[in-house]
Order: sequence, then structure tokens, then C-alpha cells
Amino acid sequence: MRTNGDTPAAPALRLRGLTKRYDDGLLALDGFDLTIPAGTFFGLLGPNGAGKTTLISAVCNLIRVTSGEIEVFGLPHQQAAARRMVGLAEQDVNLDRFLDVEETLVYHGGYYGMSRARARSRAREMMEVFDLRAKAGTRAPKLSGGMRRRLLLARALMHEPPLVILDEPTAGVDFELRMELWRYIRRLHEGGTTILLTTHYLEEAEALCEEIGLIRSGRLIARDSADALRSAYGAASLTDVYVKAMEG
Amino acid sequence: MTARPLYWLVAREVLRVLKLWTQTIAAPVLSAFLFILVFGLSLGSRIHEIGGVPYDQFIVPGLITMAMAQAAYNNNASSLFQARFDRYINDILAAPLRNWEVNLGMSLGGAVRALVIGLALFALAVPVTGVGVAEPLILVVAVTLSLVLFSALGIVVGIFAETFDHHMFVNNLVILPLSFLGGVFYSVTSLPSPWEEISHANPLFYIVSAIRHGFLGTSDAPIGLSLGVIAVLALGAVGWSSWLFATGRRLKA
Repeated sequence: MRTNGDTPAAPALRLRGLTKRYDDGLLALDGFDLTIPAGTFFGLLGPNGAGKTTLISAVCNLIRVTSGEIEVFGLPHQQAAARRMVGLAEQDVNLDRFLDVEETLVYHGGYYGMSRARARSRAREMMEVFDLRAKAGTRAPKLSGGMRRRLLLARALMHEPPLVILDEPTAGVDFELRMELWRYIRRLHEGGTTILLTTHYLEEAEALCEEIGLIRSGRLIARDSADALRSAYGAASLTDVYVKAMEG
Repeated sequence: MTARPLYWLVAREVLRVLKLWTQTIAAPVLSAFLFILVFGLSLGSRIHEIGGVPYDQFIVPGLITMAMAQAAYNNNASSLFQARFDRYINDILAAPLRNWEVNLGMSLGGAVRALVIGLALFALAVPVTGVGVAEPLILVVAVTLSLVLFSALGIVVGIFAETFDHHMFVNNLVILPLSFLGGVFYSVTSLPSPWEEISHANPLFYIVSAIRHGFLGTSDAPIGLSLGVIAVLALGAVGWSSWLFATGRRLKA
């Protein structure tokens, strides 16, 4: 997406030797290498505790990295310019309890450097897209679970990041909303946005992702398209691939 | 472009104060003003003057100090603790804000709240007691240093607190008692030895003294010493909070 003269576009995300050991001694990521080309829809699959959320937290500056490098579109991830290019919807609903829906979006835009007028206009746009208009003045704690999930996604996209990280975005939502979110995420990707998705729903990964990475015990054990993974593991379905990979 | 994220963070903290105005502004103003009315007017007729100052005027600076110190501290400790507890601080930590900007932005909410309370109390106290400002420059310096100190202390406790009770503990068992013992209602020079000397080990004594000097032009401790003590404490608290934000300790796993 971003080019530097005649050089090819930098990957949306590049992790080199990323290691995270928590204070209690748990090694969550162990020399993790990963490159996600710009414009890719990449899925990350693995069991609980495999390191998916740690990886995302490291990219988004939410944890202290033990060692390794993280680049976002060729820039060190701690630089402000790199941070502006990432949008994050976390697994847990973490909305500001003092702000209503519109304020949540406008203030988020402000934190990312948008002008007041632009933030308001973009917030209105996001509320239309995610069907939140009627709840514009409602504070986050008073929203239904589905509405909170929509707001999380709207907030992540508010500043128009070229890399969007979705950590189990459809966990706990009903079928209709899941389909709706899938449609929106697909449209987003078709518009050129790079997407890193973690999910426990294998059919979700297969339906949406161009490439899938399998993570176990803080290491990337395989990555390829769903078809190529099935072929490599001699499996009939992605579920069989997952089971074989996690057993191995 | 670069100033905008900090502006929005400050705006968010101030918005929180305004949305909760009954708790954040009205309640502390009312309780401190009741102290002025009850103590000033009831005891004022019995204790005519302290150091040449009418008693109802004498207690105003200390009560304003106490209200402002508690407001700056409580605001920042509770705001940061809630942001950590509900994890919406992640939205701020992931944003293109520098560490010092997050520290400053979250600190200013408490400072603004404390200033609003201080100004409201002063406006209410003037017609009732006739208190004035004898040394405006000293008052501004003393209030500024005190707000820096208690805002930063609130940030530090907000980062360390594991439960809501922790920050209340510091307020109820440290700030409040030390304020009372720092000469809010009396001059420590009237205490017998060794209590007068012990009072000089209380940091709140210097803060009350400095702000009282700004209002009344007189205090129990030399103004240079008082301002020096507050400045050192403020520097220590800011250094501590800055280190926590710079290293991410306690804020980030």
C-alpha cells in the first residue's frame, strides 16, 4: 500500500524474533517471525494461551516486549506514524464507561490526530454503517452486547487505518450479527485494508482469510491458504488440519 | 496535528469531571464550605484572632488546600484506576500519544477539577469571611506546585491500585489526617513541644502554610522553605509517574 520510490511496498506487518516473557515467567511468544504483506486478509488460529492476544498486544503497544522487532508498513511499531496505521478491536469489550457512542468515536478520532470536524463527520459515517445512529447518545455500559461489539469495530475503523487487527470480533455474537460483520469486514478488505484476524471459529477463518497461520505455544507452526494447508496436512477439512497441527 | 491527541485526552478527562459534577465539584465544595460556615462562624466568635488574622479567615486557605489536594488526587487515581480496570486505557496506550503526553493529559483532569473547586470555594468564602489574597504570586506558585504534587500522586496510586479501596485508603488514611494535622484549623506554633516540632515533619504543613501565606500574607513556616519542600515533593511525584509511563511498569504486562 505504501511505497518508497521504486521499492516494493513494505509489508503491513513484520515481526522478527518477537519474544515475550511475562513477569511470572510464562513464555508467551518465542522468537516469533511473521510477515503479512499489505492488502492481505490473514487469519491466526490457535488454542487459548497460544500467544495470539500477546502478539496483538505487542503490535499495539499494550505490553512490554522482551525482545524482537515489530514494523508496521516499514516503521517501528512504537512510532506515532506506525500507531496511526493500526486499528484494533480487542477480544474483550473495553469501552470508556463515561462516553456515549458518538463521543467514543469522536474522542478516539481525536486521540489519532483527527480534527474535530473530521472526527464528527467520520463518527456519523461509522454510526450509519454499524447501525448505531439511534444509540448515539447512549453510554457504553447501557448498550446491548451486540451493540457494544459493533461499537468496538466502529472505533477500530474510526481513523481509517490501513491495518486492522480483529481479535475474535465475532465471539459471543448471534448468527445475524456475525454474518453482518463478515460482510463489512469483507468490504473493508476489498477496499485494500490489510486485516489480521484471530478467531476460534475455523469456518470463519476459511470463509474470510486468504492466508491462515497456525500458532501453538508461542510459535508459528504453519502458514498458507486453507487449500494448501489441507493438502500439506493430508486433511479433508480445516478442522482436521487444526487438530493435526495442534497435536503435533 | 501533534498537539491534537493530547488536547483530546485532556478534553476527555475534563468531560468526565463535568459529567460527574455532583460528585466531582458540588460535593467537595459543599462540604468544605460547611466547614467554613460551621467552624468559622461558631468558633470565630470564641477564637477572635490567630496571628492577627480573624479565625474565620484563618481557616479558609487550609480548607481550600485540603479540598483541592483531595480533588486532584482522587480524580486522577480513580480515573486511571477505572481506565485500567475496564481496560479502555488500551485505546489510549495504542494511540499515537507519547508517554509524557498520556501522563500529562491524565494529570490535567485532576488539576482542572481542583482549580474549579478552589475558585468556587474562594468565591463563596469572600462574602462570608472577607478573606482576600495578600500575595497573589506566591499563591499562584504554591497552588501550582501543590496541584502538580497531588495530580502526580493520584496518577501513581491509580497505576498501582489493585482495588478501588486502595486509592481511598491513601486519601482517608494519609492525605486527610495529614491535612488536619498540618494546621488547617490551628497554628502549629500554638502546640506544645514536641508536637510543634513533629508537625514540621508533616509535608501537608508546608503546603497549608504556603497557600495560607498567599492568601493572608502570614504563615507558620518561612515561605521559601514551604515552597522548597512542595517543589521537591512535586518533583519526586512527577519523576515517579513519568518513570511508570516511560517503562510501562504496572500499566503494561
